[in-house]
Amino acid sequence: MAYNVKEDGNIATVYLDGEIDMDVTEKAKELIMPLIEAKKEVHLNLKDVQYMDSSGISVLIESHQKAMELGTKVILKEISKSVLKVIMMAKLEQILNLE
Amino acid sequence: MNLSESKDFIVNSGSLKDVRLFSRDVFEKLNLDKNLKEELVLAIAEAAQNIVKHAYKGIEDTDDKMQIKISLNDNKLEIGFYDKGKPVVEENIQHRQLDDIKPGGLGTFFINQIMDDVVFKKDQKKWVNHLVLTKNLSNN
Repeated sequence: MAYNVKEDGNIATVYLDGEIDMDVTEKAKELIMPLIEAKKEVHLNLKDVQYMDSSGISVLIESHQKAMELGTKVILKEISKSVLKVIMMAKLEQILNLE
Repeated sequence: MNLSESKDFIVNSGSLKDVRLFSRDVFEKLNLDKNLKEELVLAIAEAAQNIVKHAYKGIEDTDDKMQIKISLNDNKLEIGFYDKGKPVVEENIQHRQLDDIKPGGLGTFFINQIMDDVVFKKDQKKWVNHLVLTKNLSNN
């Protein structure tokens, strides 16, 4: 998994690239959680994520819940078809913020 | 087309990418629909992940291998997973309730969604756990 972060005021956009599985979830959390803890609104751009498994979905849920707890939000942007399919399989499309 | 291929993988999270590569390669030969192929790859990767996460829970470094065998006979796809980790207690396997939104517990749910049957067999002396996932491809 590769990534790139752009910050603009209170919005941090995280561009993730590659396949997100159990092997990279810690890395993903280490990247996303500090931004949420800094109360940034985090935009996760998932257009270049070709594969995500249940571990990746867990990171999305955890990030979403942490953001809600701290009064900010995580918005999923440009979700790739394959990731959207997994989100829908988990019936999370009404729970997570999708754009 | 009938086919049977198997491969061994070291039990660790770093192997999951190789598990997906192996599965994609096999399904490429079967000329499966792209959506179905990716669903099957997800089911296989989730089952392999469960071996790393649960059968080898607390074991960080191991040289142990898990074996994955993909077979197709008369349009029935059978995927076997063999490992030498802690014995699986089937009663303890529960997938997450979907209205209980929390991280974790989704892997088993995905496997059950994608496959027709999920069975732990007790037919191996060489291995500890033998999981078999099946799907009838005639229905797709």
